[in-house]
Amino acid sequence: MKKAMLPLAAVLLGGTAAMATEGTVHVYNWSDYIDESLLAKFEEETGLELVYDVFDSNELLETKLLAGGSGYDVVVPTGTFLERQIQAGVFRELDFGQLPNSENLWDVVKERTEKYDPGNAYSVNYMWGTTGLGVNMAKVQEVLGEDAPIDSLDLVFKPEKMEKLASCGVHFLDAPTEIIPAALRYLGEDPDSHDPDVIGKTEDLLMSVRPYVTKFHSSEYINALANGEICVAFGWSGDILQARDRAAEADNGVEITYNAPKEGALMWFDQMAIPADAPNPEGALAFLNFIMDPQNMAAASNYVYYANGNKASQEFLNEDVIGDPAIYPSEETLENLYTVTAYEPKVQRVVTRLWTKVKSGT
Amino acid sequence: MNPRRLVLIAAPYAWLLALFMVPFLIVLKISLSDTAVAIPPYAPTFDLSAGWAGIREFFGGLDFENFIWLTEDDLYWKSYLSSMKIAAVATFLTLLAGYPVAYAMSRAKPEWRPTLMMLIILPFWSSALIRVYAWIGILQSEGYLNQLLLWSGVIDTPLSILNTQVAVYIGIVYTYLPFMILPIYASLEKMDESLLEAAEDLGCTRITAFWRVTFPLSKPGIIAGCFLVFIPSLGEFVIPSILGGSQTLMIGKVLWEEFFSNRDWPVASAVAVVLLLILVIPIVLFQRNEERNA
Amino acid sequence: MESKPAPAPFAPWEDAAAHPLIRFEGVTKRFGDFTAVSDLNLKIYPREFFALLGPSGCGKTTLMRMLAGFETPTEGTIWLDGQNIAPVPPNKRPVNMMFQSYALFPHLSVWDNIAFGLRRAGKDKETVRARVEEMLRLTRLDQFARRKPHQISGGQRQRVALARSLALGPKLLLLDEPLGALDKKLRQDTQFELMDIQEKTGTTFVIVTHDQEEAMTVASRVAVMDAGRLCQVDTPQHIYETPNSRYVADFIGEVSIIEGRVAALGEEAEIAYAEGARPIVTRTGGAALEPGQSVFYAIRPEKIWVGAAPHPDRINSVEGTIVDIGYLGDVSTYHVRLDTGQMVKALMTNAERYAASRFTWNDRVWLSWSRHAGVVLAS
Repeated sequence: MKKAMLPLAAVLLGGTAAMATEGTVHVYNWSDYIDESLLAKFEEETGLELVYDVFDSNELLETKLLAGGSGYDVVVPTGTFLERQIQAGVFRELDFGQLPNSENLWDVVKERTEKYDPGNAYSVNYMWGTTGLGVNMAKVQEVLGEDAPIDSLDLVFKPEKMEKLASCGVHFLDAPTEIIPAALRYLGEDPDSHDPDVIGKTEDLLMSVRPYVTKFHSSEYINALANGEICVAFGWSGDILQARDRAAEADNGVEITYNAPKEGALMWFDQMAIPADAPNPEGALAFLNFIMDPQNMAAASNYVYYANGNKASQEFLNEDVIGDPAIYPSEETLENLYTVTAYEPKVQRVVTRLWTKVKSGT
Repeated sequence: MNPRRLVLIAAPYAWLLALFMVPFLIVLKISLSDTAVAIPPYAPTFDLSAGWAGIREFFGGLDFENFIWLTEDDLYWKSYLSSMKIAAVATFLTLLAGYPVAYAMSRAKPEWRPTLMMLIILPFWSSALIRVYAWIGILQSEGYLNQLLLWSGVIDTPLSILNTQVAVYIGIVYTYLPFMILPIYASLEKMDESLLEAAEDLGCTRITAFWRVTFPLSKPGIIAGCFLVFIPSLGEFVIPSILGGSQTLMIGKVLWEEFFSNRDWPVASAVAVVLLLILVIPIVLFQRNEERNA
Repeated sequence: MESKPAPAPFAPWEDAAAHPLIRFEGVTKRFGDFTAVSDLNLKIYPREFFALLGPSGCGKTTLMRMLAGFETPTEGTIWLDGQNIAPVPPNKRPVNMMFQSYALFPHLSVWDNIAFGLRRAGKDKETVRARVEEMLRLTRLDQFARRKPHQISGGQRQRVALARSLALGPKLLLLDEPLGALDKKLRQDTQFELMDIQEKTGTTFVIVTHDQEEAMTVASRVAVMDAGRLCQVDTPQHIYETPNSRYVADFIGEVSIIEGRVAALGEEAEIAYAEGARPIVTRTGGAALEPGQSVFYAIRPEKIWVGAAPHPDRINSVEGTIVDIGYLGDVSTYHVRLDTGQMVKALMTNAERYAASRFTWNDRVWLSWSRHAGVVLAS
């Protein structure tokens, strides 16, 4: 679930799926989500031609897949989206006989992705991460004091805290499927609840903090956090780490930390899968197998600062990746992470409507 | 009727049929369907292989449920109203900004006019999306506008314009300004200069001559320009998404959410059909205005 | 025969005591380097129908626009009714203009066009209605009052423009090529209508035209202009019969001009124009001439008699060859090359149906004219 920059950009400028030709593999992945030298390496090793397109929103990918005939051989939806796409019959089952590198996959991740893809029959994990709190330490402590709850959802769900934070700026992801489970968790409910009445309980909580949210946006917080424009972002781990690095590079005195909330954090998975109507499924399998090579997978993670679902790759990871608890959480924290599943259409409608109300007040 | 004439007359109708009626009927059909977890994500789909029974089943599966749904949640009519308000205000602002430009162009020396016209059209050579994106750089709190205002001492703290309604208006006015200027310019340009002299000769000051003669004579251009701005503004999605804040309620965004977030193609189609019906009214008025001035 | 005495001729310009309505005093108008009007002096009297005649670019339109207030003189003063009008804007002048293009407001009906100025003047509804209806009657437009300008004919539009400019009852009405857009037949009818209306309303009319026939027909006095100057200001008859320069003679009507010099000077003058030819005998008309001076002898074609032999009663007779004939129905114009080389035009009325056939191309003919027929011009 990489940053959803501006989905409409993809709608308007989005790549058109090319027609497949013999020996060509069409891959559709998130933007800025791979070490690009891997692409040349793949072509070299397999002799296949690789056409690599990028998207920046799950919704866009899903619409292409549901319309049918996308022309792609490999796509990378997020778990919750994958789940309902499997139900719609979008993907073909993987032939693990042709995926010898699948033995490198990490059980810890496989256990969890099974929730979206029973038996892991249709997909393999590419990257995963958590949703949590990015904090500008100095500013938050200035407003809330030394004991500011920077590792707790209290920070963003307690109106009295938010009221103070509003002065230095707070961004929330513009993604109800991320924020509402967190609110449910905070209220002591099941974050994966699909009961509209239970989901409805979050309305009062969200409305109470809404006036203090500077903005609901799914990508702007990276820069805003890095240049000190805001002091708190409720966002994706990799993006906040990216903000941390940008601030460090700029040497502007801004110090960013990421924390998965101690109440529990949402864990998400971007899964590689092959559309049922893929023009070149053999080539797609070759690409999947290539990516699951421990060294290749490690190269990708070292480049994008996201954890992957490949156990064997871990020995090749850089220390600032494998050693960072914000990327690879401790065993203990890992136990505290939760996952959510896709909403049924009727429930999804309730969630979207609730979110519109939270954002616009209507 | 000779065959050539027939072809000539048939061509625009074929065009209309292929590019408007067929897509509209497809959208209308989807709006009468139900969502489904399938490809495509709605049912029923047209299946000729099942013969008559299939066709009967197909039509039996259509209903107005989605349109009824639109009346049940106040989000929709509030969005339509809000869109209309934003479009109307933006159209008025565009008129205020565009009229003086068109007027100045029509009063410029004839040898300058093609150049001025070129300058108005020039922005169209770049993508509208990129031009709207560029406004982020201008309007954001550390953007050029704020830098300029801070530097000149007009303000002490940066204005937050980006992600507000104001930014949406700026975006719409900027994007659609040429659509306002060109028709007004066309109506002013063909105006006989001696009409103003005649008005002055008959007792008007320069200002009353403008209101009594120039303005009424440019009315067809004003009306055309207003329609050309209002109609696309009403369904505008790009500008509020890029420049507007989360509180900017527009039907284009609602439609996007129905389509992408809710994956509810039928309701999204119903929203689109209603939007089209709302637009048909000003389009018909526009058409009648054009005919009257033809 | 005459049962009543002829009215005193209207000629205020001959009356030293008459007060002019308009007085141009040393008026010059320059546009950048171009001098449109140069040091012009002119008086126009109340109730006159005054024509400014000249080719395009002669400054006649500029003169009119200065009267209307759309241009201001670079130098000099224009007096209107004893008031310097330079500082008065067009909308405050008791002057109205009928535009060449008519400049009817296309968005207003005929009625509203005529009422336009009255409403701006703040007249009450009843006054406006009465005045508009009066104007409609005057210009015979009653049944077109509700039409828009594009729904009526060119002649009707011309009358609307006239009615509109007269509605305010101006002291001075300016007409810029008022009949230029009409076809010839309609133009002739309209000329008389214009004169009629001018007479009825008693308004002073200043008309700008390049059509000499039109100027001659309608005007009490004509000013012939060239290159920003007045060449001659006089009644149409004087302009025609006694032009004061080659330019005026040439501009107004047809004329043949023979270059020569004064051979003998008495009560009559003799103009020698060619070696061995008999000099032209003519009255001098009071022009100051000196013997030996180079002059131009101008004679109008209708003053020349064409015959197979010299006319016994005419003092001047020369022989020549017909090189061209213009048959116009009522008259025929003969272009005759004299044996001395000059070209002379002569006009003959086709009084008999076959008279025109009497002379044809290359015929030898005699041209005869009297001592009063032509004028001697020094320039």
